[in-house]
Amino acid sequence: MSALLASAASRQRVLAVVLRDLYALRRSIVRVFEVVYWPLVELLIWGYVSVFLQGRRVPAVIAALLGGVLLWQVLFRSQSEVSMAFLEDVWSRNLLNVFASPLTPGEYLVGMVAFGFAKLVASTAIMAAIAFLLYGFGLFSLGPALVPFMFLLLVMGWALGIFTVGVVLRFGHSAEVIAWALSFAFQPFAAVFYPVDVLPGPMQAVAAAVPASHVFEGMRTVIAGNGVDWTSLVAAAVLDLAYAIAALWFFRRMLVAVRRSGGLSRFAE
Amino acid sequence: MSILDVRDVTKRFGAVTAVDGVSFRVGPGEVVGLLGPNGAGKTTTLHMVLGLVTPDAGEVRLFGERLDGDRTALLGRLNFAAGYVHLPGVLTVEEVLRVFAHLYGVRDVPGRVATLLAQLDLDELRRRPLRLLSSGQQTRVQLAKALVNEPDLLVLDEPTASLDPDVGDRVRALLLGLARDSGRAMLITSHNMREIERMCDRIHFMAAGRVVATGSAPELADRYGVDDLEAVFLRVARG
Repeated sequence: MSALLASAASRQRVLAVVLRDLYALRRSIVRVFEVVYWPLVELLIWGYVSVFLQGRRVPAVIAALLGGVLLWQVLFRSQSEVSMAFLEDVWSRNLLNVFASPLTPGEYLVGMVAFGFAKLVASTAIMAAIAFLLYGFGLFSLGPALVPFMFLLLVMGWALGIFTVGVVLRFGHSAEVIAWALSFAFQPFAAVFYPVDVLPGPMQAVAAAVPASHVFEGMRTVIAGNGVDWTSLVAAAVLDLAYAIAALWFFRRMLVAVRRSGGLSRFAE
Repeated sequence: MSILDVRDVTKRFGAVTAVDGVSFRVGPGEVVGLLGPNGAGKTTTLHMVLGLVTPDAGEVRLFGERLDGDRTALLGRLNFAAGYVHLPGVLTVEEVLRVFAHLYGVRDVPGRVATLLAQLDLDELRRRPLRLLSSGQQTRVQLAKALVNEPDLLVLDEPTASLDPDVGDRVRALLLGLARDSGRAMLITSHNMREIERMCDRIHFMAAGRVVATGSAPELADRYGVDDLEAVFLRVARG
């Protein structure tokens, strides 16, 4: 009985984090606008590049480029949504209210991830609809294999988001830039728009340790009509698990460190 | 059983000892003040009570339990407000209270929010975003947030700082009423001596990270041979 009550209380605290983000989103036109703006810009640029290239009879270009654009947005936005939800608390100087409340760090992360996921679903649906209207590209024309690949990108994005939160917690405002920069540091190795084997040897070695590179390789296999590449899928899943564990461990270490150093208090300044 | 038992806590930041072997208790229904000049260690002590800063030595016990045990259960029984901590400015008054009511596991969220809006005279402001409120109105929202879970211990760090004398006086009257009517324990810091005189049953004077004097306002004035708490403060601050 007490376990049930504890679990209900925990859900209520997670709901509080989701509600906070929902209210903030509702009251900020900029935040609503942002859900669509950047993905739309990328979609337009890469969409017309691929239309142009297809006109030059480069095979399977539309699917590869637009698939890449849409799936990259899944990774980028899942990372940035978690980071931005945390930064909202930093910027509004509300962080001490959060960490002095009964909310556990795990519940805080789950709340931010849950709301970010809902925003991402909305954003991806809009992008997929626009891609279909403008270019006749159906995201799910890639087949049901896309679902696990998208999920694996989500998990990598969440892991990077949680890592970002840990870095900002530890190093403060000066480290905020990482919220925008981190996922782009992985982009060259993720092989979003080109196969891994065009990279030089050392970069291929790094790419092998990046879950997203296996996802995008797998996506291209699907586009080429060769079915699901289970090796890529399993490799990405194993790496995702490692990234998620490492990110949670890092976040926890940083939280312990800032409680010891008094670093949390500086977020009220 | 004490509501709060701070036992010989010490906190160092590099070469600086911010809090040095501080001990004190807060009993049920007691209003305890921490006074001292800037840099005396008051806020660091409060942050250790709130679990925001981990002590290097000593321990903080809330309701008889160590704070590093079941933090969720213990922190759910206290709440705090501070002049330097803000609430999300884009949210309306009602939304902020609703979010924190969920965060603190309040069962009847709409009922509790309605009670607080009425109690703190915030009804007319309920749909207004916090960033559009005056500092006095924002302080009232902070206090409403701090009362959302009907805490057994209310921690207030300079709650009337940055308020003009009129609004400060209203907030003080409100806090005094809360202390008197609810029998709620409070731990409060302030640079306003009259506030502390009016509100606190017991006062701990801190200087250079240590508690250097303890007693009620009249007891402290007697001990230092002065008329009021402000004169005690000046004596302590100037060594």
